[in-house]
Amino acid sequence: MIGQLIANGVVYGCIIALAAIGLSLAYRIMNFANFAHGDFLTLGAYLTLFFAATLNLGFPVACILAIPVTAAFAVALDMGIWKPMRSNGASRTAIMILSIGVSIAIRNALIIFFRPDALRFPLPVMESMNVGGILLTSFQISVVLIAFASMLAVHAILSRTVLGKSMRALADNPNLARITGINVDRVIRYTWMVSMGLAALAGIMFGLITHLNPNMGWSIILPMFAAAILGGIGNAYGAMAGGMIIGLAQEISTAFLPAEYKIAVSFAIMIAVLFFRPKGLLGGG
Amino acid sequence: MLDYLISIMLTAGIYAIFALGLNLQWGYSGLLNFGHVAFMAIGAYTTVILSMNGVPLIFAVLAGMVLAGASGAFLGVATLRLREDYLAIVTIGFSEIIRFLLLNWSSLTRGSFGLYGYPRPLEGMVAHEDYNLLLAGIVIIVLLLVYAILEILAKSPWGRVLKSVRDDEAVSVSLGKNAFSYKVQSLALGSAIAALSGSLLAFYLQYINPNNFQPIETFYAWIMVILGGSGSNRGTIVGAILLWGFFSTTRFLEGYISFSPSSSSAARMVVIGMILVGLMMFRPQGLFGRKEELTVGK
Repeated sequence: MIGQLIANGVVYGCIIALAAIGLSLAYRIMNFANFAHGDFLTLGAYLTLFFAATLNLGFPVACILAIPVTAAFAVALDMGIWKPMRSNGASRTAIMILSIGVSIAIRNALIIFFRPDALRFPLPVMESMNVGGILLTSFQISVVLIAFASMLAVHAILSRTVLGKSMRALADNPNLARITGINVDRVIRYTWMVSMGLAALAGIMFGLITHLNPNMGWSIILPMFAAAILGGIGNAYGAMAGGMIIGLAQEISTAFLPAEYKIAVSFAIMIAVLFFRPKGLLGGG
Repeated sequence: MLDYLISIMLTAGIYAIFALGLNLQWGYSGLLNFGHVAFMAIGAYTTVILSMNGVPLIFAVLAGMVLAGASGAFLGVATLRLREDYLAIVTIGFSEIIRFLLLNWSSLTRGSFGLYGYPRPLEGMVAHEDYNLLLAGIVIIVLLLVYAILEILAKSPWGRVLKSVRDDEAVSVSLGKNAFSYKVQSLALGSAIAALSGSLLAFYLQYINPNNFQPIETFYAWIMVILGGSGSNRGTIVGAILLWGFFSTTRFLEGYISFSPSSSSAARMVVIGMILVGLMMFRPQGLFGRKEELTVGK
């Protein structure tokens, strides 16, 4: 019983972690909480559905297409909206309010194109396998494997590449980064690509183990932020750890609490962190 | 037609009160409350549940305001010592938690079935058909009262300290003001005003269920406040009238466009989202706001 809950928690935690990494990276580099992040999860999932079901490209090809398309959309949005806001010297609060507007617009545009009902990817229903008394579908196993591979890739980007170095420099001191010759706008564009690519991947995974609806990304914005804050907002590794802890805590709580209240567990953890350790477990940016 | 006008007046009036609470928090104090609807829900449900159990209406309304104010203060204490975005994150989460609680605490709230058949103020005084007119009168009186109190507060020493905290916290702290405490007070009072609007909404609807309190309601209030010019109570009321004008016109136009109901309300929401984006990009001071009063453009 508890083993099953832990397994479910790891699967859910992987999705929350991938989403929270992007959220935290964007927070660190662009210096604001992006409330439209959840809707990019939704966008990624629906683009996959569009490529797979409407254009009949096959599910793997659809995923491989949906992720860069979501990232490209995020870059376009940066050029159209965030960059002008940055150059006008708009405040963080203005940018956060704007992100709410973006979120409302994306979510409802998806309702217009895809109807508000729940949908599924065009995939066969998977039988659960029994792994040492724990029931898992091959979808859930692939979610965990792909999530861990992506986290390793993020680690490689942050620690081994020039981009990662520039991102860290920009986060520590934007002006200093600029005068040392770092192309700030380009680093920001790459950050959006990484962050929103991960969001799209998380959205596809979420759709894979549950279903798709236009509210899916918005509905997990609370656990996403809770994970980012728990890990220390702005810290990508913290977001990975935070996502796992939130996922596990939510699933394990169903052993004691009615399942409807599991989202309240995220909220309780977030409030407790803010009271007792606002910098988060690993220290934020 | 008259009924239609009265119903627009009622909703615009109730939402104007709701948005005035937000204007106190955001316009006067620079606080990012992204979960304003939670306090409206707390007001509505507390009033309804208490009055169904025999508590006199006036006390039921006050209890809702106190509970909402206390919740607002609690969230403020948790976050207002930190960077301003934490309040935004926590309030948005809180509004979802409250809605989940209302949906799932069935023994108290009857969940998604909602509550109805509860007492309304001065109900026996007029015929049922005329009740909305009476309620519109009550809403307008409450709106004017809230407006007057907020205007007096804004010009009082308390309001001036709030604005100074908003504009430059370090300066007001150096003058010996406890900025944190002022912010918590502003958050609590604004939340109590939202609760009052929630009670009025419950009286008007005669039936409440958790879906009346979706997160989007919060951002209607944001648009009203920003549209009218953050920091201006009069602007907020004008913003409420404009937004409700937009809703009624688009509903009227729907008759001529063949959209499915879900698509047309989604299309309206896309426009709402774009209005918010456009306002922040091109006119953050709103239609009537003053640039020097601006909390967002700096």
